[in-house]
Order: sequence, then structure tokens, then C-alpha cells
Amino acid sequence: MQASRARLFKEYKEVQREKVADPDIQLVCDDSNIFKWTALIKGPSETPYEGGVFQLAFSVPEQYPLQPPQVRFLTKIFHPNVHFKTGEICLDILKNAWSPAWTLQSVCRAIIALMAHPEPDSPLNCDSGNLLRSGDVRGFQSMAKMYTRLAAMPKKG
Amino acid sequence: MSLPGNRTRVLCKFFAHGACLKGEHCEFSHDWKDPANNVCTFYQKGACAYGIRCRYDHVKVPQRQASASSSTYPFQYAVPESITASSTPGTASPIAVIGELSAYTSAKPTWAEGSGQNDLISDVIGQSRSTNPADIVMCSFAAAGNCPRGETCPHLHGDLCPTCRKQCLHPFRADEREEHKMGCEKKHKHLEALKHSQEIECSVCLERVLSKPTAAERKFGLLSECDHPFCISCIRNWRSSSPTSGMDVNSALRSCPICRKLSYFVIPSVIWYATKDEKQEIVDSYKARLRSIDCRHFDFGNGTCPFGTSCFYKHAYRDGRLEEVVLRHLGAEDGQTVIAKDIRLSDFLNRMRIR
Repeated sequence: MQASRARLFKEYKEVQREKVADPDIQLVCDDSNIFKWTALIKGPSETPYEGGVFQLAFSVPEQYPLQPPQVRFLTKIFHPNVHFKTGEICLDILKNAWSPAWTLQSVCRAIIALMAHPEPDSPLNCDSGNLLRSGDVRGFQSMAKMYTRLAAMPKKG
Repeated sequence: MSLPGNRTRVLCKFFAHGACLKGEHCEFSHDWKDPANNVCTFYQKGACAYGIRCRYDHVKVPQRQASASSSTYPFQYAVPESITASSTPGTASPIAVIGELSAYTSAKPTWAEGSGQNDLISDVIGQSRSTNPADIVMCSFAAAGNCPRGETCPHLHGDLCPTCRKQCLHPFRADEREEHKMGCEKKHKHLEALKHSQEIECSVCLERVLSKPTAAERKFGLLSECDHPFCISCIRNWRSSSPTSGMDVNSALRSCPICRKLSYFVIPSVIWYATKDEKQEIVDSYKARLRSIDCRHFDFGNGTCPFGTSCFYKHAYRDGRLEEVVLRHLGAEDGQTVIAKDIRLSDFLNRMRIR
């Protein structure tokens, strides 16, 4: 308990210091609870998510960093490895390949990388996975782009 | 200058101070002409807290005589008061004093008279004469780093130690010099390493390992196969944490959190190493330390250790005999060999069903 708190505090300070360094990630800690974080990440360029800003919710367990944080998308996203309704993310480092050397910041980076390189063979969103697996890249991209416009971009007018 | 037949004895300490209760029956001499035993017994044992301020003489006496220098034996190897007086600072060089001193040593001790041990005694005395330059006491101020009298100091100033920059190397005691140099270098290296280690952060708690609040936490946990730094508590916690579903113990927990290289054990260390050799040294000394501790599982042969031959702890029976392990290799048909585990009768009995 004490260890996780100390470590999160350390990460908080690191985030305050590095805010300018990584413009794609904005990590904010809940005002009253250091175990709850939210992050805003920019969709990587040259992907259908480009231009969108996605919100992530972190729930950090008390055994952190021995156990991985629970992360889910709050913003709707059309991606093979993200559950369309719950926002749950299928990513090995958040499950069995977790290592205590990961930080919340590096988890965000890993999620950005996942957005750029989807894994259609272990899908949480079957429709999206099937489009990619059947080779319909164009279909996948236009669907993803549409949802990015709808959910992850500020509404015009 | 030997005086055969002359009953030279050591001056009685109590008599010298003006009151000896034994009077005529005292086994020590009550004759002012006899020399006093002025050798510092603490110095013989290795350390005299008074250093050069001690009122007794800091000279090395060969072992046999040193043991005889307790007050029950009158013994000859002693410095007459006239000599000790001349050794006060500024009057004579230490070497000259030693020269005179050795001249006195050839006088014959009373307890050896007629005992036929003359050869032995002269041997011992000859020895004490030959090592004389090494008997000179060094100036302890200079050895501690700074002698206020500098060049004018009557005491011997040692040679400068290149590592600690103190004048503490005795010019005539070769083995002592080496010992000091080795120890000093080792200490110096340790300090340097400790300085470098201050900056190193643990990748799990993200804190500087040596800035942790309790002393127990201020230790590194070295992984045998890679060079990533962690606190001992962090890496041990991680390796012993219960694997969550789907987590493979070997690929996740037993591997380095950063590079995922598999390490089978963690080595605690106060300092972080800079080179491969230093790491090896830390690992070796850790293993050697554990090998001197009796294994709790083995329990002097009463128990079985799950680590078997790979155990770092000592597997010895009560009589000090070490466990001898003969590995049984079983050759399989396909040419592979496996090491057979201990097979016990109880294993078969457990499997048997009594109808």
C-alpha cells in the first residue's frame, strides 16, 4: 500500500516535469485519489485515429507496481483490440507480460503503439478484427475514421 | 657483554615505587642497579591505546619472551632505566636506542641458569637483534595524518601511503606495509563504488536505492544474468509475488523486469558494480558466505532440501561431514539423459492400495 503510493507519487512528479516532453500524452491524476488517473492521448499520425484525442481511465491496484493498472478507453474507438462497448484493452503488458518497470506513462505509449499496430488475431472487437483479417483494410480504415470523427474530435458548429 | 654467573634480575615494580610488601622474599630484584621491565604488554598484544605517549616501551619482544613477561617470571629482556631515560624525545635517535637496547639483551636471564637452555635463549636473542629496525615505533601523529612537529619530530615518520595519503607505512616492516596497502586500497575502492552507487535508481520503485529510509532497504538486488539495478526488497517482492492468471513464472516473474532475461537468483549487495569482475566478486563472496551457513531444509541430514545440489547453503551432517551427492543419470532410449530424483520406498508404499 505504502509502496504503491510512494511510487505513484514519484510518477506524478515525473509527469509534472515531463509534461512538455511528450506532447502526445497528457496524464492527469485524480484530485482526491492517487489511485485514479485519466490520460488524454493523441491518435498516432498516418492512422485512421489521426487528429482524434482519446481519453483513457486508469485504475491502479494497491499492489502496484507488482500488479498492472487497469486501463480502459473512455472514448469510443473502433479498434480490433479494444472492446467497443466497455473500452477494455487487450494488451499483453496489461495482463500476463506486465513488468514493474512499466510506468503509467510508458503504458500510454504502449497503447499508442497498439493503435498504430492492431493485432487482429486476438480481437476484442470482432467486427473490426474480421475486416482486417479478410484483408479489407480500406473498409476498416473508413470505419475507424468515422468513429474517430464522431467520438474523438470536437464537434463542429 | 654477557655476564655469566651474575644474578641479574628485573627490578621489582613495587620496590621501584617505594613499597614492596614481600620485602626480602620478593622474587624480583630490590637492587636499584638492576634493570626494570619496562616493556608495554599491550603493545605486545598488538594495540596500546596510549600510542607513543605510553610510559612503557613499545618494542617488539619475540613471542617466547613476551609470554614470559608476565610479572610472575623474572626475565631479562628489559631496558635499564638509564636507557629509557635517553630515549626521551630529542636526545637520541630511535635507531641508536634500539642499538643500545639490543646490547643489553645478551645478558643471561636468571630463570635459564643451569637449565641447559642456553642455545635456545641465544637463538631467541639473535632473532630479536636481527629484526631490530622493525621494532622502531612510528610517530602515531604522522600515521594519523598530521604530525605537528613535522621535520623536527624525533620519531620515525612512516612512508606515505599512496591511497590514504597518510604517513603510515613502516619502512622496515614489509608485511605490515603490504597489509596496510591492500586493506587501504580495498577500502578506497569500496568508498568509490559507494559514491557511484548513490545515484542509481531502482526501476521498480523509481527511487534511489541508497536513499531509502531504512538500512535494510538500502541494498541492491543484483540479477545474475543482466545488469539492471533494483532494490533488494523491490526485486524480491516482484519475484515472489503470486502470478496472475496466464502469467508464466519463468518468463514473467523470474526474468528481469526491464530486459526480460531469465535469472535464477538475486544477490544482495550494498554497492553497485562497475565492471563484470566486480560483479563476479560480489556474487562469489555472497555464495561463499551462504556456503558457511547450515541449510535449514537439509537440517544436518534430518530433512531434505528441495534445492538439492543447487542449494547455496551448507549441507553437512552433525559430525561435520559434508553431504555427498551421487547424481543418477538415467539414459532414455532416444539418447537423452535425465537426472533421477531420489527414489524412496515410501513413494511406492503411498501408491499401493491395500485391498
